[in-house]
Amino acid sequence: MQPDLVERLTAIVGPSHVVRDPAELTSYQYDGSADRALPDAVVFPADAEQVRLIVEACREFECPFVARGAGTGLSGGALAEAGGVLIVTSRLRHILELDVANRLAVVEPGVVNAHVSEAAKPYGLHFVPDPSSQGACSIGGNVAENSGGLHCLAYGVTAHHVLGCEVVTPDGDLVWLGGKRYDEPGYDLLGVFVGSEGTLGIATKVAVKLTPLRRTRHTLLASFTTPDDASRAVSEIIASGVVPAALEMMDGLSVRTIEDFVHAGLPVQAGAVLLVDVEDLPIAAAQTAAHVRTVCERAGADEVRQARTEQEAHRLWLGRKSAFGAMGRLSASYYVADGVIPRTKLPQVLGEVARIGERYGLRIANVFHAGDGNLHPLIAFDDRTPGEYERTVAAAADILRACVRAGGSITGEHGVGVEKRDCMTLQFSPADLALMSRLKAAFNPDGLCNPGKIFPTSRRCGESARIASRGGIAPDTARAAGAAF
Amino acid sequence: MAREKLKTPFLPPVDDPQVRTGVRPLVRPEDCRTFAVAGVVPQIVSSFRSLADASAWIKTLTNEGASVVIRGAGTKQWRPPAPPAVDAVLDTTRWAGIVDYEPADLTVTVRSGTRLRDLQTALHAHRQFFPVDPPFAERATVGGVLGAACNGALRQRYGSLRDNVLGMRVCLSDGTLAHAGSKVVKSVAGYDIHKLFVGAHGTLGLIGEVTLRLAPWPAHQHTLCAAFDTPGTACEALAGFDRRALFPMASVLLDPAAAQRVRSLPPRGACWSLVVRCGGASAAAAAELRDEVAAACRESGARNFSDHDWDGTQSVWADIAELAGGEMYPAESWLSARVSCLPADVPEACLRLEALCPGAELTAHPFTGTIFAAAPVVGEPEADPVQRAARLEEECRKAGWALAYLAAPQHLAGLLRQPVPQGAPVSLMRRVKAALDPSGTFNPGVFLAGI
Ligand SMILES: Cc1cc2nc3c(=O)[nH]c(=O)nc-3n(C[C@H](O)[C@H](O)[C@H](O)COP(=O)(O)OP(=O)(O)OC[C@H]3O[C@@H](n4cnc5c(N)ncnc54)[C@H](O)[C@@H]3O)c2cc1C
Repeated sequence: MQPDLVERLTAIVGPSHVVRDPAELTSYQYDGSADRALPDAVVFPADAEQVRLIVEACREFECPFVARGAGTGLSGGALAEAGGVLIVTSRLRHILELDVANRLAVVEPGVVNAHVSEAAKPYGLHFVPDPSSQGACSIGGNVAENSGGLHCLAYGVTAHHVLGCEVVTPDGDLVWLGGKRYDEPGYDLLGVFVGSEGTLGIATKVAVKLTPLRRTRHTLLASFTTPDDASRAVSEIIASGVVPAALEMMDGLSVRTIEDFVHAGLPVQAGAVLLVDVEDLPIAAAQTAAHVRTVCERAGADEVRQARTEQEAHRLWLGRKSAFGAMGRLSASYYVADGVIPRTKLPQVLGEVARIGERYGLRIANVFHAGDGNLHPLIAFDDRTPGEYERTVAAAADILRACVRAGGSITGEHGVGVEKRDCMTLQFSPADLALMSRLKAAFNPDGLCNPGKIFPTSRRCGESARIASRGGIAPDTARAAGAAF
Repeated sequence: MAREKLKTPFLPPVDDPQVRTGVRPLVRPEDCRTFAVAGVVPQIVSSFRSLADASAWIKTLTNEGASVVIRGAGTKQWRPPAPPAVDAVLDTTRWAGIVDYEPADLTVTVRSGTRLRDLQTALHAHRQFFPVDPPFAERATVGGVLGAACNGALRQRYGSLRDNVLGMRVCLSDGTLAHAGSKVVKSVAGYDIHKLFVGAHGTLGLIGEVTLRLAPWPAHQHTLCAAFDTPGTACEALAGFDRRALFPMASVLLDPAAAQRVRSLPPRGACWSLVVRCGGASAAAAAELRDEVAAACRESGARNFSDHDWDGTQSVWADIAELAGGEMYPAESWLSARVSCLPADVPEACLRLEALCPGAELTAHPFTGTIFAAAPVVGEPEADPVQRAARLEEECRKAGWALAYLAAPQHLAGLLRQPVPQGAPVSLMRRVKAALDPSGTFNPGVFLAGI
């Protein structure tokens, strides 16, 4: 990297907020995915203006730059794929406004997801998106990935809860996309910015909606002999006109692994478990809970249990949220896939996932957002066994193929990033991708902002890009992300 | 209620030697006037029966340097400013029908020319609906509602239109047919370009097909109407909803004049009416919500109430939807605008708008901070409404409110421009327009800042 650029960056953020030491840089070559790439420098700006100056400097020196929040991303989005400068938002962690009357907050992008809800809680409000990593992941990362969470089934994903973003555009302008109000005139640029994986600019402030906390919540646990029965219950719940706040499934392997790890009181003999939250006013919530119970029983549930206390409910959900952390005990490494299918296709595709596991000789556990049809097959592997990582990546690609064949998507919430860029062709035609690159060029004309993401390379989907020295989520990340709950 | 009727909706196609594609001129040249946009008459009006045909035809028009206006039911033709030129109108109303509907997945894929009303009828058969209540509800097409981002009061409970659009198939001016998004309720693969088409007023391309997220139809509904002395006390009731964690389907605030237009509401004199729609899966659940809403209203000083069961609900909300720049205020004699402010500013904004625009009628969606204002312009000397509009624009700018004109009589449509809020990312918008429609084919000059 040019010494002049380093000098410029140092002048912008101060010497103690630039990392150039090769040993230190290596800890920024990872995120939560199996991929890695080494940045040339890491900078920690203190405000939006510094971000703007950094971007301006990078442009002048034609140096790639990439925003990074907490680095919990699961698709390699925050990796400096082409080298260059990593702009880390960890110092941008102030909640700037908490406007109860207008049910909104303006926060800096480095604010940890859970901290927004904690700050709003005294006013009976919260920020709805609750990824399992919410104790660690940043709002900027949530915006970039359009993250989902356990309670996004009824209340929507990040995009539904962002009013506006202050953004440093790739050509160094500072603009608001959207705002604090609804209906900003003009094109809905915010609509494409959210979920653009850091390739259309860097968010420096985010105006988020806050939502009143529901009064009554019932948590139900239904255990089934087979995932098929549980899937049928999911379809029937949705088809009957009830959209619970959360509707999650764990298969038997996951249940046993999680229970070993956190002792949440999950039924270890079950073939599959549904965890359901219903939230509403007292009468409505009680009726919906009774309805969900009936549907589950009709679908063949062996047991339907309703948490009697808040602590019991909390423990059950803690189990679900610790799933990724717990999987670390099952194998040296594991790979999280993230496909989506129409909910009616759950039994069929779960069957296919199991057959793919058999075909490749890999163990696959399923812990996922069943209500949305968002699968998370966790593929266990050991990279000390030669070829196992490659087989894992190939199996994951087959799972995505099955999802697309069923009418679904290659990613529901973890993003494309580096990991799934070559699988984009499964879901999108050359014309679709060309349209996307036209849009990208409008925002990011010289391609310096987070290069190498989303768009396919010449590799085939399922061909691993590199031999991983490790795979899956670093145990530290998983623990930090999950354990905060 | 005056309705503007299409005089020659669909004449049989006539043969035109110039047209070599499967696209058919919809009307004889002498009848193109019926499809005028703010008084500007196109030279040709055509329809299409497949997206391949639409694509070929659009490409032909682009190559000729034509400007093309995409038209659904034509309910937005009076939105200022008047277009500088309209060479061709592409009518979508024959591109109608449901492509794919799996009720158990709560999603539907539909052609853009489908009437919203027809779609809702099909969905109702499965006790579902597409949760939007736009104006011109009887006529509007799905593509038009999306293109104009006609969010109604149901946004309070069900989210914005763009958040309920899962994917789209679009046609660009160079004939490119592409899709964005997906057909499932959750996907983050690639850019959500479909969201850009929501509210783009047909300036980026043709919306061909859309996949929508549906909601279960609340089997039991109540509509509560509470009378307040001021908009401020009515909005306090809304704060009470938050404190009680109430999630009604919709709430609207009507000034006395607007309230009188809603047929089944009892006369209220000089009161402001807060009308709240409560839904539930069971009678008990709907009643529980209604009772809590009533309590919150009473706490804030509501004076009297009326409560409508489902039959009443249906007719009350059908009328209320038309107050948002819809059929209630025909463009021949009304200037309709939308003011967006923070929810807490709604009372002040209402009072300021009344003072600024004598005779104006106001309908607010206080939850989102959206106010629809209609001002009578009949019989005024020409300059007057223009001056008044300029004053309104100035006031909104000073207060930090966004203003959009929805409809104006022909003589005004040519004089008004859509106000550009301070700091709007106009250059980025221009680049997006240039990237998707480099030839400037679609609806040029009518969007924002001359886009
Ligand atoms: C244990 C665990 C559980 C998880 N559970 C979920 C889950 O339930 N649901 C879910 O959706 N995801 C989940 N994730 C994935 C991940 O936590 C989310 O994608 C999260 O939003 C990433 O946030 P981050 O701050 O770590 O972003 P990073 O990983 O640092 O970055 C992610 C992307 O965001 C971009 N970015 C970061 N900040 C900005 C900014 N200010 N402006 C523009 N772009 C920016 C980066 O360039 C990158 O492309 C999980 C991850 C782990 C490790």
